[in-house]
Amino acid sequence: MILQNLSIKRKLTLITMLTSSLALILSSASFLIYDLVSFRHLLSQDLMTQAQIIGYNSAGAMAFKDEPAATATLSALTAKEDIITAVLYRPDGNIFAHYSRGTATLPAYLPSHVQEQGYRFKGGYLEVFHDVTLNGERLGTLYLQSDLRQWSQRARRYANILIVFVLVSGLFAFFVSSKLQGFISRPILHLEDTMRMVSVNKSYGVRAVKTYGDEIGRLIDGFNTMLSEIQQRDTVLQSTNGELKTRTQELEEEIYHRKQTQEELLNAKHAAEEANRAKSTFLANMSHELRTPLNAIIGYSEMLEEETRDSGKVENVQDLKKIQAAGKHLLALINDVLDLSKIEAGKMGLHLETFEVSQVIDEMVTTLQPAATKNSNSIRVHLEENVGAMRADITKVRQILFNLLSNACKFTDHGTISLNVDQIQTEGKNWIQFQVGDTGIGISAKQKENLFQEFAQADASIARKYGGTGLGLAITHRFVQLMKGKISVESEAGRGAIFTVQLPANVVVEATELAPTKEASKSSGTLPETKSDQDTILVIDDDPAVRDLMSRFLTKLDFHVVAAANGEEGFRLAKRLRPLLITLDVVMPECDGWTVLNRLKHDSDLAEIPVIMVTVVDNEARGLDLGASNYLIKPVQRERLAVLVEKHRVARSSAITEQDSVPLYVADGQPAHELARARLSRTRRN
Amino acid sequence: MLRRLQILIVALSVSLSWAPAALAQDRGPSDSSEYLIKAGFIFNFAKFVEWPPTTFAQTDSPIVIGILGTDPFGPIIDQIVQDKKIGGRGFVVKRLKWGADPKELRECKILFVGASERTHIDELVQIVRGLPILTVGETPGFAEHGGVIRLVLEDNRVRFEVNVDAAHQAGLTISSRLLTLARIIQQAAVDTRKPG
Repeated sequence: MILQNLSIKRKLTLITMLTSSLALILSSASFLIYDLVSFRHLLSQDLMTQAQIIGYNSAGAMAFKDEPAATATLSALTAKEDIITAVLYRPDGNIFAHYSRGTATLPAYLPSHVQEQGYRFKGGYLEVFHDVTLNGERLGTLYLQSDLRQWSQRARRYANILIVFVLVSGLFAFFVSSKLQGFISRPILHLEDTMRMVSVNKSYGVRAVKTYGDEIGRLIDGFNTMLSEIQQRDTVLQSTNGELKTRTQELEEEIYHRKQTQEELLNAKHAAEEANRAKSTFLANMSHELRTPLNAIIGYSEMLEEETRDSGKVENVQDLKKIQAAGKHLLALINDVLDLSKIEAGKMGLHLETFEVSQVIDEMVTTLQPAATKNSNSIRVHLEENVGAMRADITKVRQILFNLLSNACKFTDHGTISLNVDQIQTEGKNWIQFQVGDTGIGISAKQKENLFQEFAQADASIARKYGGTGLGLAITHRFVQLMKGKISVESEAGRGAIFTVQLPANVVVEATELAPTKEASKSSGTLPETKSDQDTILVIDDDPAVRDLMSRFLTKLDFHVVAAANGEEGFRLAKRLRPLLITLDVVMPECDGWTVLNRLKHDSDLAEIPVIMVTVVDNEARGLDLGASNYLIKPVQRERLAVLVEKHRVARSSAITEQDSVPLYVADGQPAHELARARLSRTRRN
Repeated sequence: MLRRLQILIVALSVSLSWAPAALAQDRGPSDSSEYLIKAGFIFNFAKFVEWPPTTFAQTDSPIVIGILGTDPFGPIIDQIVQDKKIGGRGFVVKRLKWGADPKELRECKILFVGASERTHIDELVQIVRGLPILTVGETPGFAEHGGVIRLVLEDNRVRFEVNVDAAHQAGLTISSRLLTLARIIQQAAVDTRKPG
């Protein structure tokens, strides 16, 4: 709407003008109407009077039938401009005399008959009938017709005056309102100007000037108050802003510092990682470097001990045994430290396989029997019938049990070591529970706190008295955790201890811990060709000491031993001899053990020959993956090696005799290696 | 008989009012039609003339119309004024002879002087001078010689002359409406004095 967007000045002017003009027009119009109506009435009265006079004057003429006189009387109406027709009728209705403005002839329009005395408006004319009487005698009727010229003239004149009057007064109103609207519009425009100035210049110091005390004045007051408030806030805001800027700057500096620190930290972390890697490498190297001489020390001391005993020099046997024991302790220490560092580095993977729990238990008991006997302890094993196979890392399960049991043996004197194995169900899972109890010195509450911590034996004196590295329980704890199991202890000082380990019957490896599983390859059912009665074992190792020790040991076990100094030679010999089994070292010049293993397993003739890895490299998973049957870490536990080779020999012979299964253990529960020992000593005696 | 006469009068008045000129033309100045009109005139004069209030003894005293000399109207005038009343007064028609008791002349309110009395006009004027008597004559010079109204036949139309001074002297008030229709005559002062 255009009207709505007009400026307030114009609106005010317009409103004033419209109002005044409307009022003026209305009042003038009503006055005009009133005047015209009353004037009409006046005209009719006037014409009636006229008729009366003319009627009176023409009474004589009518009485004496004097037409000229009557006509003359009517002619007097020439002076009255608005009367256009006048007629005198005789009593019988005939025309006696007539008058018509401008013509002498009878007017074209005449009333058809004489009507009642009185006036009437008819078609823009005013008509009057008047009875002409003389002394009460009706002489005739006078008819007058007026064209209301006066009336219309008056109306026209009045209208003109009104128009001029309205125009003039409108003009006057325009001037007056133009001048007077300033009272309202000027302060508003001033306010608007001030507002624009504020919004354009953003200067809140400007104030609008109050002119009058009316609503607009109050509006201006309000505006000014608002402005001062805004100004105040603006000031506060600016100072706050400045403060904020300072703070931001400070923060930026802080961030810069932190970034620097972070970079430094990152560098430090990289350095630490580098150091850690270096440490791991160092440890790996060290273990290799340490084990190689230890291997020789232990191996030769054992050989020496046996030979010395055989030669009857009993006094040297004890010394040799001490050397052997010290070497073994050192080896255990090194192994434990290595295990722990591997766990710490998160490099300890799980190699899952399914195995019979009873088998492991038997193995353990057999292994630990000497340790138990040493302190005059008896071992009592109770295996629940519901315990069958479990899927876990057998090596670690074995080590857990070994640690717990050997500890029990170590800290108990003339007591009983108990091992209870059960299968339980909690948390919707199947668990295999191992409980190792003893009647030894027990553990105090204070000692329990650090029980599973590294290098924390219950008492410093204990190390001296009982020996040990103090790493056994820590490693056990870590292994149990690795397999998502639980370990706990119940004990009181002097009352013995019960360690409880719960392992899932089916250990699940998380993706990161996953190591490819592969069942240890079974002994082949086919019969390899052999050229001798003795079973041939091929030993592949670059270390002449190892070759020598292995040859001697295995020869004692009634094997024919062929040694190869490198991978290439070993592969050639294997091809030619088709041995019962092969022992293989990893770290060799030119062609390492992995390569040899790979080639063996990919050769259709040789793939069936079991390979036992004998190495210082601790990577059992890789070895088993590549197809190795067993994985032994140097220095080799001779008992274990004996058990393994016997197993393969028995498997081979059973394959020959087509027996389904040959127990590894003899019927009276004597383990295989005892059998091996017996056989060894028998050979010796021969 | 009377009824037939009334019909005749009505018929006459109608024919007169329609075309008096034609009537006069056709029949000429026939006595009967001429005096019928003249009788009507005399009656009409009574309407436009006011006598002094003292003239009449009583408020309902009749207006006496005297016809002096040979009566040219016959019974027509009696019939015209019969039962007519003006301002409560009726009419009485008397026929008078010259030389009779002047008292009878003086009692008349309207005195028609017939053509037969044309020689006695001055004398008559002298007799009624100062008396409120409307004298109506026919003879030429009647108004000039002091008569109040003279009836004239002009172009077969009856018209009248009025001597306003005579009327004034007689104490009569003649309506201006009558005067506008009349020819106003100035009295010849010498004449009026000489016959006196």
